[in-house]
Amino acid sequence: MRFLKWHASDKLAAYLDNQLSAPDRVRVEAHLAACDRCRKELTHIRVSDAAIHRLPLVSAPDGLWSAIEAAADSHPRPPHPVPGVRLTWQYTAAVFLAAMLASGYWILSRPSRPAWEVSALNGAPLAGERPLQGLGSLYTGESIETDSASRARIRVASIGSVVVEPGTLIRLVATGASEHRLALRSGAISAVISAPPRIFIVDTPAATAVDLGCEYQLQCDRDGAGALRVRSGWVALEWKGRESLVPGGASCRIYPGRGPGTPTFDDASPDFIAAVNAFDQSGQRGALNLILDRARTRDTLTLWHMLSRVNAADRIGVYERLVALAPPPASVSRHQVLALDADTLTRWREELAWIW
Amino acid sequence: MARSNPNISARVACIALLFAGVAGAQEFSIQFASPVAAQSYRMKQSAFVFRTLGCADPSTPEVAAIAEGLVNYQRRSVPLKILPAQTPNVYGIFREWPSEGAWVVSLKAKCGAKSAGAIVVTDEKGGFAREASTVLNHAPTAAEVEAALKSGKKTAP
Repeated sequence: MRFLKWHASDKLAAYLDNQLSAPDRVRVEAHLAACDRCRKELTHIRVSDAAIHRLPLVSAPDGLWSAIEAAADSHPRPPHPVPGVRLTWQYTAAVFLAAMLASGYWILSRPSRPAWEVSALNGAPLAGERPLQGLGSLYTGESIETDSASRARIRVASIGSVVVEPGTLIRLVATGASEHRLALRSGAISAVISAPPRIFIVDTPAATAVDLGCEYQLQCDRDGAGALRVRSGWVALEWKGRESLVPGGASCRIYPGRGPGTPTFDDASPDFIAAVNAFDQSGQRGALNLILDRARTRDTLTLWHMLSRVNAADRIGVYERLVALAPPPASVSRHQVLALDADTLTRWREELAWIW
Repeated sequence: MARSNPNISARVACIALLFAGVAGAQEFSIQFASPVAAQSYRMKQSAFVFRTLGCADPSTPEVAAIAEGLVNYQRRSVPLKILPAQTPNVYGIFREWPSEGAWVVSLKAKCGAKSAGAIVVTDEKGGFAREASTVLNHAPTAAEVEAALKSGKKTAP
């Protein structure tokens, strides 16, 4: 048992650096095979070493050394060492080892922070308040900020990417297997996501964009006013129980304090889109009449959303216009639609999507 | 007070039911649409999606798709893979044909003895031109495909 009384602490650093003689190396390895304590110590040294190598190299500010020398000159050195403390090499080594063990323990025991890969596309965006040049990391809780001349790309785990357009402030709220969440404070992003629905979410001040498998552009200002434009797939814009489902080829405005507006297809006539925007903002009856009058078959997207946004009397007119443009399937009854039965409305929407 | 003849009432009811059945029976057909109709994120990159309607047995329909193209005055054909969506009888067509030239996708489906078809005119953006495309109550013929390719317009059903 004499063998186990000896520990390899003083040789582990040299062992890791491959600086031991062959006999010493064999001896240390044999000891490590039988000694838990030294194996743990070796792990701590490895972790600390790796952590140190990950630290960025930072140049000392100009004048640092001259400042240190000036400070040292201004304080006369004591003629003798501080009484009671003898700075032997053993003492220094012990302090160093304790520091290494503490840092290793801290690194091993701290919760890991998920990060996304970010890259600068133009200019010098800030990622976590660090200037981003080339590739970098964005950790949970950190933000990307672009100025008027910079753009950045965020790689959203393995499900897609987001381009952060100039003049944007966006924060990584959470990332995990079940949810990836960003908060767009202001500016614009373009997202390309390929994932099951409701995995990728972007909060804005006035609405939440829930990805249902899509490509889209989302922009908002600091007041929360904004717009969503979907290129493919679906996005759900949600706010306090109000929901707009926006398919590829359609757009939807976002209103501060009121959430998502009513979606319209981008190829709808300008006066139709203007009437929808006017209705969203003021509920004008004249705007509603114009919407009903100008709606094409494809604009049933807009009319379907309006069913739940008009009063009961106007709902009949919206329903009848919808029926004239696209008769509902047998499973969708007038009574259930006018009562805003959720399942019935969903069935009708899924059927209407074949003409959108 | 006149009383209705029970025999006549029964006949009227039978005839009404027969008419209702005929009216409710949907003809076997193909419907194509934008990828959003499939309600599946896996289809979002598709050129378009289509479904079969009116086939009594959901497992019966057989579907096939071929991209037919005219590239530098040369006719070309590309057999296409058909990706089924989670919803039964809904399928996705992904762009497997070259970007140059004019291309249509010839769709055909069979449900027992019944056939249906469609000629979907593609656009340069990788999608389809709804107005120029057409549905057929039979598998597209070579002549209909040629006509669609040459005119780029709707063919007769």
